[in-house]
Parts: sequence; C-alpha cells; structure tokens
Amino acid sequence: MAYRELIKNFARIRSYMREFYVYGFKSREEYTEKSVRSYDNERRRVESWLGEHMSFHQDAGGKTVFLSVDSRHIPHNPLHKAFKAKSFTGKDITLHFYILDILADGCALSAGEITDRICTAYLSRFPDAFALDESTVRKKLKEYESLGLLRAEKSGREVLYRRTDSVHPVLDSWKDALAFFSEEDPLGVIGSFLTDALGEPFDGFRFKHHYILHALDSDILCELLLAIDERRAVELTLQSLRGKKEYQRTVCPLKIYRSTQSGRQYLLGYHYRGRRMVFFRLDSIRQIRQGEPEKQFDTYLALQKRFDRHLWGVSTGIERRLDHLEMTIRYSPGEEFIPRRLRREKRHGRVEMLDEQTCRFTADVYDASEMLPWLRTFTGRILELKCSNPAVTDQFQQDLKRMAELYGGGGDAVQ
Amino acid sequence: MLFSEIYGSYFRVVAAILTEAADAPLTQARLTALVREKGFSESTLTIPRALQTGEWPLLDDSRRSVLRHKPTMPLTLLEKRWLKALLADPRIALFDVDASGLEDVQPLYSPDVFVPFDRYADGDPYEDPVYIACFRTVLQAIRERRKLRISFRGKNGTHHSFVCIPHRLEYSAKDDKFRLLASGKHAVNWINLGRVSSCTLLEAYPPAAFSPPQTHTEELVLMLHDERNGLERVLLHFSHFEKETRRKSEGEYEIRIRYDRDDETELLIRVLSFGPVLEVKAPDRFIQLVRERIQNQLGYTPLGV
Repeated sequence: MAYRELIKNFARIRSYMREFYVYGFKSREEYTEKSVRSYDNERRRVESWLGEHMSFHQDAGGKTVFLSVDSRHIPHNPLHKAFKAKSFTGKDITLHFYILDILADGCALSAGEITDRICTAYLSRFPDAFALDESTVRKKLKEYESLGLLRAEKSGREVLYRRTDSVHPVLDSWKDALAFFSEEDPLGVIGSFLTDALGEPFDGFRFKHHYILHALDSDILCELLLAIDERRAVELTLQSLRGKKEYQRTVCPLKIYRSTQSGRQYLLGYHYRGRRMVFFRLDSIRQIRQGEPEKQFDTYLALQKRFDRHLWGVSTGIERRLDHLEMTIRYSPGEEFIPRRLRREKRHGRVEMLDEQTCRFTADVYDASEMLPWLRTFTGRILELKCSNPAVTDQFQQDLKRMAELYGGGGDAVQ
Repeated sequence: MLFSEIYGSYFRVVAAILTEAADAPLTQARLTALVREKGFSESTLTIPRALQTGEWPLLDDSRRSVLRHKPTMPLTLLEKRWLKALLADPRIALFDVDASGLEDVQPLYSPDVFVPFDRYADGDPYEDPVYIACFRTVLQAIRERRKLRISFRGKNGTHHSFVCIPHRLEYSAKDDKFRLLASGKHAVNWINLGRVSSCTLLEAYPPAAFSPPQTHTEELVLMLHDERNGLERVLLHFSHFEKETRRKSEGEYEIRIRYDRDDETELLIRVLSFGPVLEVKAPDRFIQLVRERIQNQLGYTPLGV
C-alpha cells in the first residue's frame, strides 16, 4: 500500500513516538514489533508532523532517530499533532462541509432533505463525483449527533437535524485559559483542538518540569474519565512494558494518580478478582471496554481514601504492612530552606525541629523503598536514617558506598 | 474518541482554504501556500490534488468554494464537557472566561479525580484576590506589550519595587507556582508571582526596547548503568530536557542533557536521587558538586540502623 501521511490506527504510532521520544537510541533493525517497511513509514510520518524536533545520529550500530525537545522553551505540546492525523475518506470530508453548510443558517432538516440538497446544490456541479444515498447521509448525521455537532428533533414522524452553535460559550474569552490548560490539563489535547479553531494563540506561557509524553495516552485517559464519571467498571487490555505480554483485568476505576516528577500516569482501581486496590500505568493500557454500572462505587472510593493515607508513590509494598522511617537532617546556618524543603516536599508524615540546625522527618508508608530517590536528594545532610524495613537502610548505604567508589570518595568509610 | 478526523489537521486546512475561496477564486500558488502554512510538511502532496481533481468536490474549476457560507463547526460535546470541567479548577479564577453556554453541560471530570501525588505542598494561592488581580495585570501587560511597576517580597523578606518589561509567565506543575520572567533596568529577573504584592500597568514599550532574555545553557554528560529499571526511570524523569541517548555497551548508556545553568542545584539533587545508577561524566564542576555531597555524607557515617 502506498505511503500516506495520515493514519487509521493510533496504537502503532503511539508506540513509535514513545520510543523516539523517551529512548531514541535504537537503530532501524531493532524495531522488531513490525516490519522494517512499517518502521520507515512511521518514521516518515513522525518526521512529517514533528520534523523540527527530530534528529538522528549515525554510529557503528546504524542510524538512530530520536525526538528531542526542551519543553520549557515551547508554548505548545508538539505531540498533540498525532491526534490530528486521523485518516478519512473523500466522502467523509465532503459530507462534513456540505452538511454543516446546509444547516449553517440555523434551519432544521430531515436526512432526506439534506440528501436532496447535497445532490442538487453541490454534487450536480461535479459530473464525476461519487454517488450518494440517503442511508450514508443518515449515518453521518447520527455520528455528528453523537459528537454533539448536531441536535436531533422530532417533528411528527420525521427526525430533523439542526446545528448546536446556538448554545456555545464565546471562545475568544477563553484564549488565555486555553493557552494554559492545553499544556497543563491532563486532557490538554482537547484545548489544542479548540486553540486551532481560534487562530493566533496566546504566547505568554511557558512550562517548567513539563512532561509532554502523557499526551499520547489522552484517548485512554478520556475513556477512563468517562467510566469514572458514569461509575462503571472497565475491562482493560494491558501490555506489560517489559515483556510485551498482553493480559486483561476487570476493575472499578477510581482515581488517576499523576506524577509531576516523571510524567507517569496511573489508574487506581479496585481489582475484582484480586479483591484489592491495584495501580495500572496508563501507557500500558492498550484498550478499554466500558462495563456495567458499579453499585459499590462509594464503598471502593472510601477504601481508596483510607488506602491513600500511607502511599508514598504508587507501590503498595508486600502484604500492606507499614514501614516506619525516620531521617534526621543537619544543615548549616543560612540553610533554613532545608526544613522548608522537607515540609513542602513530604507527602506524608511530619517534620520536627530538634535544635536550630537539626530536624527530623518521620513517616509510616506502605513501601519505604519508594522513598529512596527522595531521601538521596538530601545526600550530604543526613545525620541518621532509620527504617523498620532494614532493606531500605541497607540499600541506601550500599548505594552511597558505590557512589563514593564512582567519585573516588573512599567508600570504605561507609559501614 | 479524541482521535477523530473532525479535529484533524486536514479538515482544518480545508476549512481555511474554503474560507479564503469563499469570496474569490484561489490561485494555485495561494492554495499550495495555505496548505504549507497550516498543514503537515507532506500535506501539499495530498490536499491540493484532492481538491482540484474533484476527489473532494469542494472547489469548482476556478478554485472557488462551492459552499454557501464560510465554513464553521460547532463545538463538540466533548469539547464543551472539557471546558465545563475547567470551571471547577481553582486556577480558572486567574482567567476572565465567559462560561455562558455551558450551564447545561456535564463536566467531563471532577478535579479531585486526579491525584498529583508528588506535587509540592506550598503552591500559589489561586483564590487570593490580590494574587488574581496581579496575575491578570501581568497577563494584560504581556499581551499588550506594556511595562509594569511591580512590588514583591524577596527571598529574605525584603521589599522590592521596580519597573520592568514582562516577558512571559512560567508555570511548574511540580511546584504548582507561576514565575514571571521580566527585564528590569540592569538585569533579567525571575519573580515568584506568589510574592508579588502589587502590579501597576504602565505605558507600552517599543518592540526594539526589548529582546528575549538569553539562557546560559550547559551540557551535562551522564553514564547510565541500567539496573532496577533505571533506564526507563531516568529517561522518563529527564525527558522534558533536550537530550540525546547513546548505547555504549550492553546496559551502559551515555545521556547528554542540555540545561539552564541557573537550575544547576536542582539538577544536582535530581541526579543524586538516582544514586549509583547515574554517573556524572561532565562538566567537571558538576562532578565536584556531587563529590562534595558524598564527602559530606560520608562525614556523618556510620549511618544509624
């Protein structure tokens, strides 16, 4: 099949864009999920949409393609473009403009009347144009009704269709808000669609620590939000991120946990079969099937609230036992930002001042090993570290010893 | 759902073409220029041909639109539900939006469905009237290219007031704070909006009076030793930087990150958070900073168990 710039299926491009953006060191031959030709086509598409952010390097392993962008310096997430590349037929685009044109003056017409007008006022001018029957038009009208572009009204035995413009917000007043929320909201891609309709967007915002990859999971997120809003169970088709193995889980979706420090997003849901709360990474979800309404939704939500009290991140540890952790920090005069840091960055627990230059952080969490990356940010100031789970302090000390060896700091000093 | 042609680039480009071709025929050159300006880089291979061959019967032989009106599209239900959801976000108070037309719309989600579990706790006060007024004044000044007199508390509590040219507002989801990048008489300043006590709009400035502040970019070279899923954790964590990764050998990767030197301390603790999975190779100054932290820590040994 000849190459086309647009795509029918999002799943494959989602996977390639993630590879190019996060990793970017694989050569063409290492993309083994599909054929080499498929790789060439996907790479060409991404280049067509995001050429300015694409780079490559050549080494002994071959040519590698990668996406590289400092998201602090750009006002708009370039990955949103992938959602604007859906393929369609000639009939789709033609009917889109014809139908909205016919109904543009606010009238309400039946499928038959719209079909007649399309044939007489538009298609009759093109001798070689496609043939059109009423059922095709009716199908398109129903599709547009479900999207909210048209409203159906009963008139006797007929169904009439009318555009829904009359009850719209004035988008011009949203221009600045759209520039902000298109980037900051988890479903910002919708804001990007709206911004496209506005013309010149506001350019006054930039975003630090701005993770843009989540945009590729927007469709999945949207499905989950609809299920949560309707309090429905969902059947998830997942693919393990390492082994690539596919599997299914049926859960009651409750919350979306988002990391502002890695960009990862997780669904927290009640897993019926396992009878417990489980996290699923959104980028591992391939498909969602909406299930039945869940009568116990409030019960599960209350469970989630209790569960959340001792979560540091998204690890539930082993057997849900709590780890008790204490870290004593020493800082110099003039470094009062250190206790301030503890207070603003801690997610649970408490901070107590021991003297003018010493403070202690204490917390009880399901899995204290999840805290290690944060604890290490205080390297150089940790006077004492205690944990009821000795594996945590052991890991900290081993890592410190290895770092001392890496940087030539006399690792023997660490016990 | 979101991946639909009605939101797509091609529909938007064709709408722009039909808008311009509503009043007068388009030249071939103008048709191509519109596609080049608004479409993807290879859209010129498809859209002009489909419109001119009648495959998409929307332009007549003289390249004039066959539609009776300039094309417009109502908002979809999903778009309206998303806008309605934003109205429950405390940050919407910063913007003067007209919410009429959304009264009967069900929000797509409630803000508490999201749990930003590692967001810092001292975010900006989005419901404070003074903060809101200052935010809107800053936004207006940026939009209208006007100077500002701004008063704020410095880090040490000292009061400052000066006239500046506001360049842009920067938001950090991790800090949940806005900062203003502004040029004063002598220097470029980052001002936490949460510390601003008053803002006064002044006269417009000539474009020549201002050029965007330059950043001082440095390159950090890291060697990643892939263990404990370190490869994915590190690459995702630093994915918002301009970066390049090369595999040096099995389980060993070199990562080059370009960063703003003003953010060096923050980057240092982020590198430290990965422990021995990340080894700093350059610049030397950065290596020295890591070494000092480790030496200080070793000074506290043995760590209590």
